Amino acid sequence: MRPFEYIAPSSAQEAIALLAENGENARLLAGGTDLIVDLKHNPGNTSLLVDVSSVPEFRGIEETSEGVRIGSMTTFGEIMASPLFQQKMPAVVDGAHTIGAVQTRNLGTMGGNFVTCVPSADSVPSVMVLDATVTVVGPDGSRQMPVEDFFVAPRKTALESGELLESIFIPKASLGKPSAFLKHGLRKGQALALVNGAAALWLDKDGKIVEPRLALGAVAPVPLRAVKAEAFLAGKEASDEVIDEAAEIAVSEARPIDDFRASAKYRRQIIKVFTQRVLKESVRIARES
Amino acid sequence: MLVELTVNGELKSADCPPETTLLKFLREHLMLTGAKLGCDVGDCGTCTVIVDGKSVNSCLMLAARAAGRDITTIEGLANAQQVHPIQEAFEELGSLQCGFCGPGMIMSAKNLLDKNPTASRPEIKDALSGNLCRCTGYTKIIEAIEDAGRVMSSTKPLHSNL
Repeated sequence: MRPFEYIAPSSAQEAIALLAENGENARLLAGGTDLIVDLKHNPGNTSLLVDVSSVPEFRGIEETSEGVRIGSMTTFGEIMASPLFQQKMPAVVDGAHTIGAVQTRNLGTMGGNFVTCVPSADSVPSVMVLDATVTVVGPDGSRQMPVEDFFVAPRKTALESGELLESIFIPKASLGKPSAFLKHGLRKGQALALVNGAAALWLDKDGKIVEPRLALGAVAPVPLRAVKAEAFLAGKEASDEVIDEAAEIAVSEARPIDDFRASAKYRRQIIKVFTQRVLKESVRIARES
Repeated sequence: MLVELTVNGELKSADCPPETTLLKFLREHLMLTGAKLGCDVGDCGTCTVIVDGKSVNSCLMLAARAAGRDITTIEGLANAQQVHPIQEAFEELGSLQCGFCGPGMIMSAKNLLDKNPTASRPEIKDALSGNLCRCTGYTKIIEAIEDAGRVMSSTKPLHSNL
């Protein structure tokens, strides 16, 4: 690798100051599973790595009276091992499990996956359907936004220059919400998603769908909330016919591309099948609980 | 920069440039060449080492980040008297052919069996999804890990690294 300086700041303030002082030549190091590979092949002008992986404000999984705060530097291994996630957000564990392999999950972080901002990011759909928000910090303080607004374009987030992703937040109302995640890659392990997707919903006492959420990845420039399919599902009976129609609507909302991994036509077929499966699985879980 | 860390129970330190990966640090500064340089992008797993009880691709981790941590490499598993049950099982079953993936396979197996010695076959396969072997087809590797798990869950380790 081309030479660079390395600093591991001990606080968010220090990290923000380092970014402000060093501008575009400083890059943030999270888990490094993307960045270190990138630096080996495309070093660019990087002259400083600011390793934020141990900054206390960016670490830890914490349950409060409002919900669950996930420090951006939480690794996928930590999420998978967390009893809180296993019990109250199992679809997030399923999403984390499909990323890389054991070794990369012990390094890679949810915040890193968000900031890399590829359309196929496997940690996104399962938190998007839980109405997650994110907190970003910068020289002018912190601000929150819904997770959907964080992803602007491929490899472009809503972070302004000098800002960092501090944490991801799941509101209390979403904890335990029946939910499911699925990913389709060319292999079972270490594959990029051709399509990934998650659903979450409640059923009321009459079996009608309440607050349905559907998110799809790798089917548009950024991870996508299928809002038309959600609107169609709200208040309806959770029948196979309704779910099939919602899947058709989700297909119409997606904008998949042809690339060397799969054709858009194939992706549309997978979107339909996956939407049906994640919705049916969520309904099954809702009926059992 | 001076990097000080614990490797296989011994405190080690060396001066290296900040862009040195943990793999390069182990191989070229500490002369521990058990972990191998394969793909260098985190796909093949032959550089796998255990850092603070968690397996990582040492080609993706900077030595600077490993400072102060506890590293276990393949060299920490055996001594002159005794090999690790996983190594013994690999030898017994002839699990390796060219052997280049071996150190990473065995470290991934150790990472699994230390936490879950009675791991099922699907769990073993899942634990090895980040370790590529182009010779064997994996069958005897998986069988050896099952066998080693049986040994590890029924006998008391001889020393802390085993």
